[in-house]
Amino acid sequence: MSETTVLVFLAVICTGIFICFLRMLKGPTASDRAVAVDTMTTTVVALLVFLGFVFQRYVYLDVALVYSLLAFLGLVAIARFLEGGI
Amino acid sequence: MILVVSLLVLVMLLAAIAAFFFKDLMSAVIAACMVSLIASILFYFLQAPDVAMAEASIGAALVTAVFIVAIRRTERYEK
Repeated sequence: MSETTVLVFLAVICTGIFICFLRMLKGPTASDRAVAVDTMTTTVVALLVFLGFVFQRYVYLDVALVYSLLAFLGLVAIARFLEGGI
Repeated sequence: MILVVSLLVLVMLLAAIAAFFFKDLMSAVIAACMVSLIASILFYFLQAPDVAMAEASIGAALVTAVFIVAIRRTERYEK
């Protein structure tokens, strides 16, 4: 994998993270912020998998797996609260 | 790589400040969830994947669920 590919990927991921963060700051309701954090989680899982590939350590993929599962659980808890379920 | 870490630290700091100033406590919990997410990535950058995994499991799921139960028992908007 060439150096340019890594740099382009990191630039795109950082732009995505920053845009999600701006939406989290701006969003008028809590639902907008929850969706922004979930989008950021997806972007970050892509970053974790890519860095595991760049560092050539495949143990690092477990972190991405665990994080995506648990972030889903947290988002389900937030959504249940916003709908008045819990 | 240092630019990525700098951006992540900046976003983490601003999210922590936002969690301090939000009046809607649900939004504050979501901002704290974002802080925990970025702390997990920073542990990952420091070559500590097990610490990152523990931070992800505690910060993303457990703390969020406990805070949501606490908000449910009390009130949502700060006076």
